[in-house]
Amino acid sequence: MWNYEKRLQYPVNITTTCPKTARLIISQFGGPDGELAASMRYLSQRYTMPCKEVAGLLTDIGTEELAHMEMICAMIYQLTKNMTVEDAKTNGFDAYYIDHTAALWPQAAGGVPFNACEFQSKGDAITDLHEDLAAEQKARTTYDNILRMVDIPEVREPIKFLRAREIVHFQRFGEALEKTKDKLNQKNYYFTNPEFDKHVPIAQ
Amino acid sequence: MLESRQDMLCRIDEVSFGIIDLTLYLDTHPTDNEALTLFEQYHSERKNLLKQFEEEYEPLTVDCVNIENSEHVGSECQYPGQKHFHWVDGPLPWEGGAA
Repeated sequence: MWNYEKRLQYPVNITTTCPKTARLIISQFGGPDGELAASMRYLSQRYTMPCKEVAGLLTDIGTEELAHMEMICAMIYQLTKNMTVEDAKTNGFDAYYIDHTAALWPQAAGGVPFNACEFQSKGDAITDLHEDLAAEQKARTTYDNILRMVDIPEVREPIKFLRAREIVHFQRFGEALEKTKDKLNQKNYYFTNPEFDKHVPIAQ
Repeated sequence: MLESRQDMLCRIDEVSFGIIDLTLYLDTHPTDNEALTLFEQYHSERKNLLKQFEEEYEPLTVDCVNIENSEHVGSECQYPGQKHFHWVDGPLPWEGGAA
């Protein structure tokens, strides 16, 4: 169950029209390491997570990622809301404009549509938590790349906030992985799937 | 006392962020007393601010809706002086600063 709160997690007030920047940051909406993939990854993995506290963490981080997706979408919207056809033509937004005008549609910066293959829900607590740790680092790298390319301060501030959140999530997932390992059966030296194999049960 | 809608929203963003960050921390450290105390402080400030924001402007969540307050003129109210569902008042969050 979810409730909507009528505000962004961090303010987005962009007064410049720049479709080119929108085409770059759209990767954090529908790209391989974007916020849509992040929320779907965690919210899909949580059901079979054997440790209740970790399933709770996946729920809370997955929920925050939805708010991050909304921030990215607000940024793209504000960068393109006053664009003219001429702006779209000269600013690398022409191909996107043909299919979507100025609407939001999840795709990567390179134009590849959003795809569930961009995240894993493997059904093994150790595997999935490693995926989550890597995902946070990949998103952080993408934000670093955006910060190297984009110089509009009104875009950089919310991007810096989102980048910092990836680091916090990485930290929390690290603790979740340690917590899961602590609860593994002591004979499970090789971290055999504690989520499915009943001969290596996990302590609750 | 926070002066403008903007100031009040900014403080709501700040305390709500405190709660989100503390929630994740407490998910993995559920017995940390210092974090629990901070959580309680932010939680009570947020509750008061959300109520105050609804009274002066518009509700930010459906739980904040109080129809008795709907007749006052909040921000972007299309039904001033009229009893109405004031969840529809106020700007959309993604509109931001651009005209």
